[in-house]
Amino acid sequence: MKEEIQDNLIQIHDLRISIYSEGSYFDVVKGLSLSVCSNEILCLVGESGCGKSITALSVMGLLPTDVAQVTNGEILFRGQDLLKLSASDMRRLRSDEISMIFQDPITSLDPVFTIGSLLTEIIRVHRNVGSSEAENMAVDALEAAQLPNARQRLKSYPHELSGGMRQRVMIALATALNPAVLIADEPTTALDVTVQAQILERLRERQREQKMGMLLITHDLAVVAEVADRVAVMYAGEIVEEASVQTLFDKPQHPYTQGLLGAIPDITARRGSLHAIPGRVPPPQVPPPGCEFAPRCVHALEECWESRPLLEGSGEGKLRCFNPQPLIT
Amino acid sequence: MLIVLLISSVAVFYAIRLSGGDATAAALPGSATEEFREEFRARIGLDKPIYLQYFAYMGKILKGDPGHSITNNASLVEMLKEHGKNSLVLGGAAFALVFLIGVPLGVLASLRRNSWADHGIMSFSIAGMAIPNFWLALLAIWLFASTFRILPAAGCCSGKQLILPAIVLAFEGIALTVRMTRSAMIENQNNDFVRTLRAGGLSEWRVMGKHVLRNAMIPIISLAGLRIGQIVGYALIVEQIFSWPGIGQALVTAVLRRDYPVAQFFSLVLVVLVVLGNWLADTGYTLANPRLRRSR
Amino acid sequence: MNTSDKSLFTRAIQWEQELIVHEETLRANPWRKRFQSVFRNKMLLTGVILGLVVLGLALLGPLFYDADYARQSLRNAHKPPLYKGYLLGTDAFGRDMAIRLFVGFRVSLFVAAAVTALSLLVGVALGMIGGYVGGSTDRVVRSSTDFIWGFPLILVAVLLVGGLGEGLFPVILAVGIVNVAAITRVVRGEVVVLKEREFVEAARAAGVSRFRIMWRHLLPNVLAPALIMASYLIAVAVIAEAALSFIGLGAQPPLPSLGKMIADGRGFLRINHWEATVPGVGIVVLVLAVSMIGDGLRDHFDPRLRHERGRKKLK
Repeated sequence: MKEEIQDNLIQIHDLRISIYSEGSYFDVVKGLSLSVCSNEILCLVGESGCGKSITALSVMGLLPTDVAQVTNGEILFRGQDLLKLSASDMRRLRSDEISMIFQDPITSLDPVFTIGSLLTEIIRVHRNVGSSEAENMAVDALEAAQLPNARQRLKSYPHELSGGMRQRVMIALATALNPAVLIADEPTTALDVTVQAQILERLRERQREQKMGMLLITHDLAVVAEVADRVAVMYAGEIVEEASVQTLFDKPQHPYTQGLLGAIPDITARRGSLHAIPGRVPPPQVPPPGCEFAPRCVHALEECWESRPLLEGSGEGKLRCFNPQPLIT
Repeated sequence: MLIVLLISSVAVFYAIRLSGGDATAAALPGSATEEFREEFRARIGLDKPIYLQYFAYMGKILKGDPGHSITNNASLVEMLKEHGKNSLVLGGAAFALVFLIGVPLGVLASLRRNSWADHGIMSFSIAGMAIPNFWLALLAIWLFASTFRILPAAGCCSGKQLILPAIVLAFEGIALTVRMTRSAMIENQNNDFVRTLRAGGLSEWRVMGKHVLRNAMIPIISLAGLRIGQIVGYALIVEQIFSWPGIGQALVTAVLRRDYPVAQFFSLVLVVLVVLGNWLADTGYTLANPRLRRSR
Repeated sequence: MNTSDKSLFTRAIQWEQELIVHEETLRANPWRKRFQSVFRNKMLLTGVILGLVVLGLALLGPLFYDADYARQSLRNAHKPPLYKGYLLGTDAFGRDMAIRLFVGFRVSLFVAAAVTALSLLVGVALGMIGGYVGGSTDRVVRSSTDFIWGFPLILVAVLLVGGLGEGLFPVILAVGIVNVAAITRVVRGEVVVLKEREFVEAARAAGVSRFRIMWRHLLPNVLAPALIMASYLIAVAVIAEAALSFIGLGAQPPLPSLGKMIADGRGFLRINHWEATVPGVGIVVLVLAVSMIGDGLRDHFDPRLRHERGRKKLK
């Protein structure tokens, strides 16, 4: 499988995003770097509010520019900096090369158009095809997303479909043009538990079929265990640990990762009570002087308060910690 | 819908009958004898119980013969044709102005939010709602007819004479439509589906001009039906001020002269128009909104 | 290691103090912010100031400006403002325009207050009953309000005035009926949505009586939209009273009403335009004040629009 991982499709270097709120600016993404290769699923994990979604939106060039802006860094797609592209060039890439699936399939589809017209509109914006051919492509995309009765469904309005079916429509919208990169932001969070597994599986199959590079954003470690190839753990706007999924689950090194893993209810181990991480995420207006996690870390040293650890290591595993611990059980 | 029409026809009939006073006073000279008055009442059916009068009246209308004016004996059907045509021209012009000016301005304001264009359009809109239209009409006559003498102050029915009353009649509607369009556009711009469409690589122009506008049109269409009613109401005043011989003017004149067949018939016509407008509003709202259309 | 050990680090202590300061300011902020946002909401502020000016003139004007609104003086007819102690000039009968304007404001405000009180009381009650009870009660409420709402106010008023005779009372009744329908519609719409919400379900499941649910759980939630609607309806009432008085159906002489004053001044625009422009400007200022307060309140209470206001360009 390692041989299949090829070039880096997306490379983010030292990305910094500021948001403006109540008269002041503060960083919500603080020097984030990561890369997504083709034919792999990178999971970006973290608590809500740690900057996952805003990172994804910045890759799409869809940051709400009146409240959030990239202040530093670059986002390379096949070596080309997306932040320097003109608006129309960026538009051409969207959904053709890089596409995105959003969390809430209920509100994410335009309610007054049929799903057929939504799909064909997006297809025809990017491809010079006639309406009947666009319709065929739409049907193919819906079938690939395993929506039953795809052709009849073209005439349905979003409100006539269930949540799971709508999310399949979203998958079809995002994958209809065979993009190289697919970003999925909490694609299953809004769905019923029974549907979640089906949608995840379908996403993973689509990714394998099209050899897409996929960035899956989630706060749910069960999802990570299910589909990820590699995992990047994000805390307060920066990546604290990055590893392959086996390594991360077997030998987490960062105290935060260990805390997260400890927080999954593990039925087989019967360890008794849930392991919650004490404290909470520091407000972005008052960042800690050193390591962002120091205030909540049981292993914090004086050094951790003095200066900020760097993300070190290469290839398989990276870690941002002065005092990594072997796993305690 | 039919029930509403029925109820409103009864209401109008009773209201006008009650308010009509002694109709014979208007129709006959003061020297007429009491017997002659009685005979006159009997001839036009005023001696019967009021509900019988109602049925007789509705029967006549349904047969297409609503009767005659008691002041000048003009056929009501002829009057309706004459005044109806004039009112239709004025009302139609005002209605078209409301949407042809209101919607584009509202869209513009929503797209250039907080720019000078937005502030300008919104100040205009607030002013438009604060100025009562009879006052606006006077100002317009004073300014364009008396001072600059570029437009006629009153009369019917040339294009030039149409300009002032149509604008005055449309003014509040334009102001309201601008606000409504702007807020509907802004509300829909914050919807999640806008992000999905942008992520699909659609141009801003398409996202706003097609999808957001289409969603924003739902409340605007339902407003359109209600506009008909409002225009009918304001026409009563505006036609009067500009001496535009429409239904509104005829109705107000008839009420003042106690010419009750005219008052009754024309208020019935206006009420039917209003009810029709409200019904159109509902239907339009349902048609424009797929979520309310019955699924197959 | 535990927290007490950690706070031995000087940097840690410093940071924790910063954090405490930050949280204190956050906690102190809601009040300051609420206060500031009223002031930052220029629309609301302007509306309130204009409204207070009009209210002040209406209530206090006649006390300080000594004149009789009905006294005629034909020698002093058609005079411009500031003529011989007439602050705003005189009308065709030589009556003092300033005092007539102040009393006209009183009439407008009285009609508006009466109409709004009537329509709020009846409208909120009807809307809650219709929306909550549902069934045939609701059908009656809905179809009758749908019928009345969107009915041209002037037409209703003309019919009523015909039945009751000219004067302010039929005007109040006519505008009141139409505005009741408007409030009922808004309240009913809110209640229909609210009654499906969990907190109402929970109250019902707990056996709370219908009346109590409406009073304790629904009323507080429908009050804000009803009040915002009512502030629009004040403007509607002011304009309607003026329009009806303009065509002679409202306030009867010698009681001044802004609409009647415009109608009186209408014929003399070329001689002395102030006779029409003074009351005309008066109405516009009054309506502007009321609708700005309405808009300001809506901005203040509608979180979606509040969000919009918070946005500024990032440098």
